[in-house]
Amino acid sequence: MKYALRLLTLGLAFSATSGHLSTAAAQQPVEIQFWTWYLSPKFDPYIKTTIAAFEKANPTIKVKWFDKQATMVQDFIASVNMGGAPDVVNLNIDETAKAAQNGFLRAVDGLTAPATLKTTFYPQTLRNFTIGGKVYGYPWYGSLNEGVLLYNPDLLKKAGVSAPRNMTEMLNMVKAVKDKTGAYAWVPALKDPGGASFLGYFFSDGLPIYNASGQAAFNSPAHIALLQRYVDLFKGGYLPEDALRKEAFQLATELYAQNKVAMIVGGPQALNRIKDSNPSLYAKTVVTTAPLGKAGVQTGTSMGMVIPTASKHPAEAAKLAAFFTNNVNQMEFAKIVPIVPTTAAAQNDPYFKKVSADPIAKATSLVGASGRFINPGFKVPGNSDDLYKNFSDNIEAAMLGKKTPAQALNDTVSYWNTNMKK
Amino acid sequence: MTRAQRSLTPRTRSSFSWRDTLMSYAFLAPALILLTLFTFYPLAYGSYLGFTEYGGARFGQGLPPKWIGIENFRTLFADPLFLTSLGNSVKYLVVVPVLQLASLAVAVLVNKNLPGMTFFRAAYYVPVVTSISLAAVMWEWVYNKDGTLNWVLGALHLLPNGAVGWLNGEATAFWAVMLVTFWRGFGYYMVLYLAGLQGIPEELEEAAVLDGASAWQRFWQITVPMMKPTILLCSLLSTIAALRVLEEVLVLTNGGPLNSTYTALMYVYSKAFQGFNFDYGLASAAGLVVAVVALALSVANFRLFRESDGEGT
Repeated sequence: MKYALRLLTLGLAFSATSGHLSTAAAQQPVEIQFWTWYLSPKFDPYIKTTIAAFEKANPTIKVKWFDKQATMVQDFIASVNMGGAPDVVNLNIDETAKAAQNGFLRAVDGLTAPATLKTTFYPQTLRNFTIGGKVYGYPWYGSLNEGVLLYNPDLLKKAGVSAPRNMTEMLNMVKAVKDKTGAYAWVPALKDPGGASFLGYFFSDGLPIYNASGQAAFNSPAHIALLQRYVDLFKGGYLPEDALRKEAFQLATELYAQNKVAMIVGGPQALNRIKDSNPSLYAKTVVTTAPLGKAGVQTGTSMGMVIPTASKHPAEAAKLAAFFTNNVNQMEFAKIVPIVPTTAAAQNDPYFKKVSADPIAKATSLVGASGRFINPGFKVPGNSDDLYKNFSDNIEAAMLGKKTPAQALNDTVSYWNTNMKK
Repeated sequence: MTRAQRSLTPRTRSSFSWRDTLMSYAFLAPALILLTLFTFYPLAYGSYLGFTEYGGARFGQGLPPKWIGIENFRTLFADPLFLTSLGNSVKYLVVVPVLQLASLAVAVLVNKNLPGMTFFRAAYYVPVVTSISLAAVMWEWVYNKDGTLNWVLGALHLLPNGAVGWLNGEATAFWAVMLVTFWRGFGYYMVLYLAGLQGIPEELEEAAVLDGASAWQRFWQITVPMMKPTILLCSLLSTIAALRVLEEVLVLTNGGPLNSTYTALMYVYSKAFQGFNFDYGLASAAGLVVAVVALALSVANFRLFRESDGEGT
C-alpha cells in the first residue's frame, strides 16, 4: 500500500511538473524563418515594420528575416537538404510551380481556409498559384507586363504618329518611328533566360498555348504569322539586336533614358529609373493606358509566399504569410513602391483613385487597382527550365534567320510535347 | 661498433622513425583534414553522384541518390546541347597558346630594369583583380553597336558593312568573349613568367650577348628552355581555366547567340543550379566528363614538355 501510495504521489508530481513544463513550452515563442527575395536594403523599413506589427499581434511567434538575392533558389534547396528549411519563402509564380512540382511545398489551402483565400485575393491571382488543383502560395505584390504606356512625346511627334491604342497600331508604327527618328519604337520581350515571355504575345492576341488535352499547341498558322511579324521587324533592324541578349525591360529603360527608344510598355517601376537617370525626360514623359493585343487582356506576374514541406512550424508560418499578403499590408507596400496588390479589396482603395500630373503617381493610379489582370497567360509546364530554354533557342533561331518561324514553332511544340512532365 | 651501440641502434632508429612519422602526420593533419573535407570528399561524392539519379522531385521528397550506372552519360551524349557546349569548351582552348605566348613576351619586356616599368607590371595586373561584373559593364561598352570598338574600327574605315553588334552575332560573340578571358588572364600569367624570368642567371644572358646572339636567338635558345617548368605550369593552369570558363559567358552572352558561347561548365551550372528542376546526377556526370578532358589535356601537356625537354638535353 505504502509502495502504491508512493507511486501515486510520484505520478501526480510528475504529471504536475510535465503539465507545468508543457505550459511553459507553449508560452515559449516559436521562431520562424522568413525569406524575401531582392527586397533589402531598399525596403528594410517596410519589412521590419510589418514584422514588428505581426509579432505584436502574435506574441508567441518570433520572426527571423533574411533577404535572399541571386542565390535564393540554391539556398532554399540547400537549406531543405541540411535540415534548416525556412518557414515562409517569397517566390514568384514560375518558381512556385517548379518547387511544388518537385514536392518542396505544402499546399496552403490546408493551412488557411479556402473560403478566406477566395475572399482575400482576386480569383486569377489565386489561380496563378494553383498547381494540380491545390493552392501553393499566398499571392503577394504583382506587376503587369503591359501595365501602362510611357512615351517620349517629342519622338512620337517627330515620327508623325500618336500613341498606339492597341498592339496592331504599335506594330504598324514601328517602321515609321525608326525611319523618322532613328530611335526604336519599343523593345518587345523576345527572349528571356528563365522564362518564355514571347508566349505572352500569343496569349495577348487570344491564341492558345495548350490544347484541351494540355499539350503545347502554339504552332497554328495564326501563331506563325504573329512570330513572322516580329521576325520581319527584327531582320529589318526595327527592333534592337540586344533584345535577344538582354532582359527587355532593363534594355528598354536604358535605351529610353538615352532617347533611343520612344515608348515603354510596362510597369511604372521604369519611371523610377528614368527619374534618376534623365530627370528632364522624366518630366516630359507621358503616361497613358497600355496598348493591348487582339484579346484585349493584360499579362502580368506576381510574387507569392510559400510554406516549404520541411517547415517545422507551418501553422505559424501560414499566419505570417497571410499577414504580409493581406490587403492592409499590400496597400502599405503599394504606397512605397508602385506594385500592383493581388488582394481584391485593393481595387476600391481611394489611394488608386487620386489624380496627379506626376508620371509615377499617374502610372500607379492606372495600374494599382488592376490586380485582377495579373496572369502570365499560360500555366508553367513541368520540366519548365528545359522547355523554356528550347523555346528561347527557337525564337532566337527564327529571329537570326536560322529557322523559319514555322520551323521554329513546330520544333518547339514537338520538343515540349515529348519532354513536358505532367 | 660496440655491442652496446649495436643493440641500441635498431631500437633508436625504429623509435625515431615512428616518432618522425607521427610528427609528420601531425604537421600534415590540419591540411589533410581540410583537403579531405573540402576537396577529396566532394570529389569522391561528386563522382559517385554522376552515376546516380539525384535532384528534382527526388530531392524535394528527401530521397537518397539512386544508382543508375552510366545512364547519365548516355543522356549527356544524346543531348545536342551538351555536345555543343563541350565542343565550345574545347574550341575555347585556342586562347591558351595565344595567351601564353603574349604573356611570356610581355613578361620579357617588363623584366627590363627601365624607369616606369613597375607601372606597366602593375597595370597589366589590374584586370586580374577587377571584378567580373565591373569588367562586364566595361566590355559591354566596348562591344556595343555604338561602342568603343566600332568607333575605333569605323574611324579606321575597317567596317565596310557598318557597325557590328559583337556580342550579338554568332560569328563574333565567341571570339569577343574569348578576348575578355585573354584580358583577364594575361596579367596573371605575366606575373608568373616574370617570377620565372627573374630566376634565370644573368651570366647566361651576358655570355650569349658576348657570343653575338641576337635578342630573338636569346629568347628561343635561353629564355624559353630555362622557362620550361613555368611554361608547363602556366599552360596547364590556363588549359584547365579555359575548359572551365563560365563567368564571362554568364555576364556577357548567357551562352547565346544560338548557343555559340554555351560552354560545358555553363551546362553543368544550368543543370545543377537552375530553378527547381536541378539535376545533380546529370550535372555531376557532365562535370566528370569535363574533368576527364582536363586530365587528358594535362597529361598531354606534361608529355609535350617532358619530351621536348628530353630532346633539348
